[in-house]
Amino acid sequence: MKEKDLFLYELPFGPAHSGSGNFHVKIIMDGEKIVEARADPGYLHRGFEKLMEYRSPIQNAVLSDRICVLEPLSWNLVHAEVVDKIMGYDIPERAKYIRVIMAELTRVQSHLIWFGATSIATGFDTGFKIAIGYRDYILDLFEMVTGGRVYPAGYIRPGGVRWDFPDGFKNKCNEVLEKIEKGMASMDKILFKNHTFKLRTKDIGILNKKDVSILGATGPVARASGIKMDVRKDDPYEIYDNLEFEVPVEDEGDAYARFMVGREEVNQSINIIRQALREMPEGSISVKIMPFGKMKEGEAYARIEAARGEAGMYMVSNGKSVPYRVKIRGPSFLHLIPVLQHLLVGSQIADVPLIHWSLNHCPADMDR
Amino acid sequence: MIEEIEKYNPREEGSTIWINIPSNKLHEILKKLKEIGFEHLSMINITDWIDKDVFEIGYFLWSSKYKKNIVVKTEIDRENAKIKTSSDIWNESAAIHERELHELFGVEFEKNNDLAPLFLEDWKEKPPFRKDFDWHEYVRKNYYDNNNEREKAYFDKNVTKN
Repeated sequence: MKEKDLFLYELPFGPAHSGSGNFHVKIIMDGEKIVEARADPGYLHRGFEKLMEYRSPIQNAVLSDRICVLEPLSWNLVHAEVVDKIMGYDIPERAKYIRVIMAELTRVQSHLIWFGATSIATGFDTGFKIAIGYRDYILDLFEMVTGGRVYPAGYIRPGGVRWDFPDGFKNKCNEVLEKIEKGMASMDKILFKNHTFKLRTKDIGILNKKDVSILGATGPVARASGIKMDVRKDDPYEIYDNLEFEVPVEDEGDAYARFMVGREEVNQSINIIRQALREMPEGSISVKIMPFGKMKEGEAYARIEAARGEAGMYMVSNGKSVPYRVKIRGPSFLHLIPVLQHLLVGSQIADVPLIHWSLNHCPADMDR
Repeated sequence: MIEEIEKYNPREEGSTIWINIPSNKLHEILKKLKEIGFEHLSMINITDWIDKDVFEIGYFLWSSKYKKNIVVKTEIDRENAKIKTSSDIWNESAAIHERELHELFGVEFEKNNDLAPLFLEDWKEKPPFRKDFDWHEYVRKNYYDNNNEREKAYFDKNVTKN
């Protein structure tokens, strides 16, 4: 050991820190400065890829909720899409609209948790309460449609969706969107335009443009570093190529830029939901499926833009009623291991929770 | 279509191109694909084809220039499974996927110098995502008691066949 190393000390961030989630990163400190960071995942490893090999697609649709608690419907969607591709289901137009509306509502509520948790990381409890309070209006909608506030129990399932929107959903949804807009306006005032918040988040955790593909960043993290990538635009699925929306991009690459990208995405999502509600056709909501029938032989790969970045799923079927192999790509897997390790080195200890939360992570989809 | 992969009979479905290549060409082709614009590695997958006695390794790539996904697949022997790392091409983003797959399937990624355990703690059994790892047996051995009235059912082979 070098003489200098005697002054280094080790600090565990997580797994029981309010800012970390079920995740631990080992930090080596020199005074207040971080010289090394090593992520230690696995606290939420449930082995979904293996579990799915023992269940039929309709059971897996329910299981896919659990991949990430903060945005279960996005994982429903990517699972449904990959099975649709294997089985060759031609999804009715109305079901596609319903899927998109639910996925975008999920994005908005997931971003609200993100802003809420960020407020906590800055020691600003009011922001947390406002964000989580407004999120509850969206959970009301989820309860109305799926029966579950957080877990939709595989609402978006292979072949379409489980059932149609109930009566009065359109009006209620429009009301909720107005409320969310109001909520975001007050979040703007007290959080995003707040001088202290800016001081705390600007110029910390800077991810350079050239490092984005090296570290595998996607979603809001990549877009805040000036990379305009969004699966909804680049590789459109469902009905995204019929909808008009912008992909917000910032160039700074710091924590504040990531929050601002997320902030603007809420506006875009609200815009998408309004368009989809307006243009949604009548018709059936599902093709006829055999819940426990045999799957077609083959393989498929689907990816979507989840709230935290690119969510992907690859499925192989050998003609049995259960898939032979499922591989899941969680965006947080890349964000919390290579990206976080990279961003933490050289930063100050006080900035750790903020850098951590600026990545909009979910330990559940990292471990899977 | 992209001319580098033309001779491997690519199959195009929607925005995804699938190719199967021999494992000795893998590194060279991945490198070429990165150079021509497949800058984003979405994920790496391993499928355990136990009947054929091979591991199938798949690389899922995206190019914003071509607006295409490419899935490059190759097969390696299940016994003594080894493949050259792609972390010199996609750096950390490939290295972390390889680290996960090394833990779950036991495939050796040569020249990847960080293959430390990722999710599992003190794991001494066979890599758990292999098809020949019997998790029923593992759970019975480690977590259930045959003499316990409530847990007896788990030892009944008819109940837990699968």
